[in-house]
Amino acid sequence: MEEENQAYQVKLREFEGRIASGEKIEPGDWMPDEYRQQLIRMISQHAHSEIVGMLPEGAWITRAPNLRRKMVLLAKVQDEGGHGQYLYHAAETLGATREEMIDALLSGKAKYASVFNYPTLNWADMGVIGWLVDGAAIKNQTMLAQCSYGPYSRAMVRICAEEGFHMKQGKEMVMRYAQGTDEQRIMTQDALDRWWWPTLMMFGLPDDVSTNSPALKRWGIKTRSNDTLRQEFINELIPELYLLGFNVPDDDLTFDEESGNWVSGDIDWDEFWRVIRGDGPCNKERMETRQKAHDDGLWVREALSAYAERMQKRAEA
Amino acid sequence: MTDTQWPRFEVFLQDRPETSHRNIGSVHAPDIEMAMMNARDVFVRRPSCISLWVVPVDAIYAKTVQEIEADPELFRDRLGDESSVDKYDIFRKSSQRRAMTFVIYTGQVEATSPELALQKAIEIFGDGTTYVWWVCPERIILRSQESDIPSMFAPAKDKEYRQPRDYKVVSAMQEVKREQPGKGGR
Amino acid sequence: MKETTDARIDEQLVQFTLSMADDELILAHRNSEWTGHAPILEEDIAFSNIAQDELGHASLWYDLCCNLSDDDPDRLVFFRTPDEYRNVLMVELPKSDWAFTIARQYLFDAYELVSLNNLVNSTYRPIAEVAGKIRTEEIYHYRHTSSWIKRLGLGTEESNMRTQKALNELWSFAGQLFIDSPSIQMLADSGVAPRSEILRQEWEEIVVPFLQDSGFLIPSAEPVDAIRGDHTGNLTSLLAEMQEVARTDPSAKW
Repeated sequence: MEEENQAYQVKLREFEGRIASGEKIEPGDWMPDEYRQQLIRMISQHAHSEIVGMLPEGAWITRAPNLRRKMVLLAKVQDEGGHGQYLYHAAETLGATREEMIDALLSGKAKYASVFNYPTLNWADMGVIGWLVDGAAIKNQTMLAQCSYGPYSRAMVRICAEEGFHMKQGKEMVMRYAQGTDEQRIMTQDALDRWWWPTLMMFGLPDDVSTNSPALKRWGIKTRSNDTLRQEFINELIPELYLLGFNVPDDDLTFDEESGNWVSGDIDWDEFWRVIRGDGPCNKERMETRQKAHDDGLWVREALSAYAERMQKRAEA
Repeated sequence: MTDTQWPRFEVFLQDRPETSHRNIGSVHAPDIEMAMMNARDVFVRRPSCISLWVVPVDAIYAKTVQEIEADPELFRDRLGDESSVDKYDIFRKSSQRRAMTFVIYTGQVEATSPELALQKAIEIFGDGTTYVWWVCPERIILRSQESDIPSMFAPAKDKEYRQPRDYKVVSAMQEVKREQPGKGGR
Repeated sequence: MKETTDARIDEQLVQFTLSMADDELILAHRNSEWTGHAPILEEDIAFSNIAQDELGHASLWYDLCCNLSDDDPDRLVFFRTPDEYRNVLMVELPKSDWAFTIARQYLFDAYELVSLNNLVNSTYRPIAEVAGKIRTEEIYHYRHTSSWIKRLGLGTEESNMRTQKALNELWSFAGQLFIDSPSIQMLADSGVAPRSEILRQEWEEIVVPFLQDSGFLIPSAEPVDAIRGDHTGNLTSLLAEMQEVARTDPSAKW
């Protein structure tokens, strides 16, 4: 036992040394079980978020108000599917199977970003989601692109490159509506009022209560704190939103001259927990939709498996 | 029948004639022909591809340098059938510096088993900086043809709306700032 | 713009390009309804690609039409009433299940391929150019859809049965694609577009053996009794949704 423990410690030090020197850990490399499990959890949750995230925006493709917006929204939602795909792949390299991951999502065992449990109520939500939600995601993903696990890092680099267009197309919309008709401005302010706080919650719990961070930081997975990223985001968005003539639904927002930070009011973490635990406005609906797509697709998946099996037998005969 | 998400196929992409095929991810598909199409739809939504290869994950014999060093018996008694010499495609990861790089196509060897193919590959292509080796029988890989380029890979070039550069938000915001000096502050 | 020297042909050209555009738009719209709901993730991504391609094709045809008629594509798409639309009935049918969607896509893709193979030789150059562009993408669509049809036909009893049922329902609608008209005849006489009969023959030469090899029976149904411009309630509800936001303010820029 003592020998085993020593051998483990040697391997662990070597592993941490590789990470510290900037080497990527690849599938097949030795890794502590906790590293593997944490990554599977993080990556699959991230993948689920992308897939579920297709639904609130996908619902508006049929109502996009001009040809360009229709094509752009279709491409954006398609990208989100693609991102989920890259992430499922990264988790698969760690030994998780897609069947298991989907099962975990549909049974409620696995979580996904709670921001996607809010409804999209008008067209301007598309612009606001692009600028705010994807903007917040980019911050997180840019950090994860440095992560020590090769497949996750590479998936993140690819996703970051594609996400740029998501944020920009949203920002373009918000800017246009800011300078558009009265109805467009009102519609956009309404969307901002509803998406501002859920977006801030995307950065996760405040640093002083978040439990996951220490191991993730040591192993090069999460290298910047929730609060730091959140503050950066707020500092970037507020001046530009004000410039465009919009308000932010935060009566307690103040500017601190000394730090140069826009200091946000209190985030309602009770709401955050309610939504994560399944009690958000759209949790049930999102899961029912995913379950239905999965169930409706069963005969299709079976049919194509049967065809492949038959062709395989024929080839071997 | 058990519901599956179909088997997985690793995907290799060549973006320019001067570069080699590199592994960029995998796709689920019922068979290899569908895998080729899925690979195109998942990985070639933006330009820079002239060729795709797909291969079932089970056909790949993969070893990290760590794994090779930890197993001294790896190449012992792996002679296989003398009459079944196969060509093996060799891929390797040989850089830690380029974040986007995993295994890249390096060349071919002939051998009677994947283990011996790997051993040969290390002799021929190994240069001390290889981290991961992938070995795969040449005949199992499905490769796109040059004649496929117009219908499979070229169309992505026209879809400018998928590119960040198609949205001039930076210049637009500067324009707004110019028109409203003093706004956007406290 | 590049009109022909014959005003009557020009009017037919406007109607023809509008018909091509409307077919692509409505089909793209139906296909986009699958985004987030497809049987498996990879196909969700693949089918969204097809829908985007089709929107791109629609745009090319609308641009051509608007050059001739001095109109605007967004106005055509978002502010025409159902009776002004020129798509065939087949594309406005609800998406139904995956078998129906694939069957419809297959029959239409095969039609589009033979149509484009003829249109690249159109005596009206702008059409020949647009057809050339679209054809490179359509080759891939046909490859994708025909692969699916074969696998559904030769997969399980259930997949064969569902798809056969869909083909039976769709066959007479497909017939509408080949209905002749004075307008088509006029265009065919000037070499601008192919004759309906040629299209139908070429389409059957591809589709019939392929469906049979895929384990399907060829339905026998007369073409639906409808001309372009006839529509069902399906289009009314489709357009009500599609045009909903745009119509809140015709002057707004989105």
